[in-house]
Amino acid sequence: MKNRIQLSLFLIPGLLLYVGLFVFPTLTGLFYSFTDWDGVSPSYAFVGLDNYKDSLSSIVFRKAFGNNVEFMLTVVIAQTFISLVLALLLVRNTKTRIVLRALYFLPAILSSVSVGLIWAFMYDPSIGLINYGLNEAGMSSIARNWIGDPKIAIYSIAAVQVWAHAGQMMIVFIAGLQGIPAELYEAARMDGGSKWQVFRKVTWPLLAPSATIVVAYTTIQSFKAFDLIFTMTDGGPNYATEILTTYIYHTAFGSYSFGLASAGSMIFLVLLALLTLLQFKALRADRVSY
Amino acid sequence: MKKNKKLILPLVSMLVMSILLSACGGGDNASSGDNGSSGSGKVTISFMHWRGEDSEALNKTIDAFEKENPNINVEMQTLPSDQYQSTVQSKISDGSVGDVFASFPGAQFEAFTKAGLFTDLSGSSFLSAYNPKLIEAGQHDGKQYAIPYQLVYNDPIYNVKLFEKYGLTLPKDWEGFLALCQKLKDNGIIPIAFAGADIGPGQFMNTMVMNNAPSDDIFTKVEAGEAKLTDEFWVKTLTQIKELNDKGYFQQDALGTKDPAAGALFIQEKAAMLASGSYQLAQNKQQNPNLEQKLLAPITVSADQAKYEGVHTTTFMLAVNSKSKHPEESKKFLEFLSNPDVASDYANQTGQNVTVNDVKYDTPELQVAGEWASKKTVFQPRFTILNGDNQKAVTNSIQAVLSGTSPEEAAQQAQAIIDQHIGK
Repeated sequence: MKNRIQLSLFLIPGLLLYVGLFVFPTLTGLFYSFTDWDGVSPSYAFVGLDNYKDSLSSIVFRKAFGNNVEFMLTVVIAQTFISLVLALLLVRNTKTRIVLRALYFLPAILSSVSVGLIWAFMYDPSIGLINYGLNEAGMSSIARNWIGDPKIAIYSIAAVQVWAHAGQMMIVFIAGLQGIPAELYEAARMDGGSKWQVFRKVTWPLLAPSATIVVAYTTIQSFKAFDLIFTMTDGGPNYATEILTTYIYHTAFGSYSFGLASAGSMIFLVLLALLTLLQFKALRADRVSY
Repeated sequence: MKKNKKLILPLVSMLVMSILLSACGGGDNASSGDNGSSGSGKVTISFMHWRGEDSEALNKTIDAFEKENPNINVEMQTLPSDQYQSTVQSKISDGSVGDVFASFPGAQFEAFTKAGLFTDLSGSSFLSAYNPKLIEAGQHDGKQYAIPYQLVYNDPIYNVKLFEKYGLTLPKDWEGFLALCQKLKDNGIIPIAFAGADIGPGQFMNTMVMNNAPSDDIFTKVEAGEAKLTDEFWVKTLTQIKELNDKGYFQQDALGTKDPAAGALFIQEKAAMLASGSYQLAQNKQQNPNLEQKLLAPITVSADQAKYEGVHTTTFMLAVNSKSKHPEESKKFLEFLSNPDVASDYANQTGQNVTVNDVKYDTPELQVAGEWASKKTVFQPRFTILNGDNQKAVTNSIQAVLSGTSPEEAAQQAQAIIDQHIGK
């Protein structure tokens, strides 16, 4: 009993920080979501559920939600696949693996604002490095208006998101791969399994915990993306890359509708929680143990 | 153990959302001045604004002010303009910082007025130092709440030497403007460098719409539901912008070009016009000292129908915080900034025109804007749209036509968004 009390005391500072810095702002946001507060005035009026109704019926909110889903699916699929391939290639004991791992991981330590600014410059259709390189390499037909064409802008940003974080997820997969006992592979090989069969029957099922982490983390990370889109396109052109976080930002600080933005945040919170829950449930079913 | 795992999900979700919200809320972590009288009887006032690039010039101004007023100390705090837009209200609302602060015209000025953050400066003697027409943007209900200090002409810039080389004269109507663009294009010059990805639509719409809707309150009417973007004035504006794009008068893929890249095309003299404003003149000259630049506005109607020659904006609106503990000292600082000699120094050091009368400009770039003082200009139409989302809907309709949507449809889509905001 004494031990329990002592342990609880250690929790208090963390708990205070959590409540003060995270729970309190969330509850404050919830409160303001029922008001017409403009973010500046000392006074506000309660408007009930109006902000929620307005958000859900807003053309821009709906467009942002659609873009959010599109962005998230693109990033989750591409990032999981690429990071897995990188991990499978770099888990081997080659001389260059340390250097290559570091190189692939490097973008993860850069600030996303810097990444956004640099990539926006590289994507520029007139003076950007990407189109210049493609033209010089005789591949002008591939050159595009990467972030200026509403049809492809969101995918161009998704590519940057994947570039920035695939290396990070590669490390998770490498850790998972290194945790698989070598004797399982030996047994599979002795049974005459092909490389693909070994991967399908041994590697992939035992990588499920790592995959769960990668997919869940990538889903959350891409769903709440903000910095990259804000710096690269600010939601444009013509709302083609507007997602829920940029919509919330523009509503709060562009049109001084803090109440409406708070309602948008709350809806966003619920969506994110549901998404995370669904994922954990779906992916947990795949887990195997040995 | 199972229970704990179940707890993790909502906690993780809540954590993520909380971080997002707390970031949006913008904690006040700026270092504040003592904002009070020290033991020596010296008063410190805080001056908050977004123009970090003017810090050097303003520091000299502050030094001169402190020399003249030894009992007042001015502490300057700057924030990047996007952060200023999102966090300044939380910083200045209790009066602990920002005794003197700057505000953007339009949505921010409206919100601050509603929140009662401004001290009424009406009747202050230093107001007579300003051109009365140019400080109207700082008025509300007949009261002068802020003084717009900077003056910008939001008209495209043109390369004088290139115009002379091809024997081009300033067009007086739409046909003339198209002919001018065609001549430049025929000679391998990009007629207009257009930053379609960021500032281009917001800047260029002003001169394009000024004669299609020759009034200073057309967008006020749109926001009041008394006019619509689907009316002729805006559909015509979009049609003309589309025409410029379809005829290749903007650089290729203009919608993906950002401000620095469009500026580079003009500075390198690959483009004859730059769809921005007078604020860009000094920077262009710095990067290409051979440039000779002036301003020109496309006239979208026939010569006899043209009411306005260009567009002006008055911004960097200086105000005294209504919660300031030192309003008199703060007003004294504004009074000092209103002195034509002080304003001249500021203008010449920063390359920005000002609204103060009798200012002496040193450089040809500043004098260019000075020439426009006698022309018939209208206050920037985009800034008369007070809701940020509505502003975005309007400028996005320009991006929509540049990406292939018909002007009618783009206008309709933007109007649908504005309709949702009307009455809220």
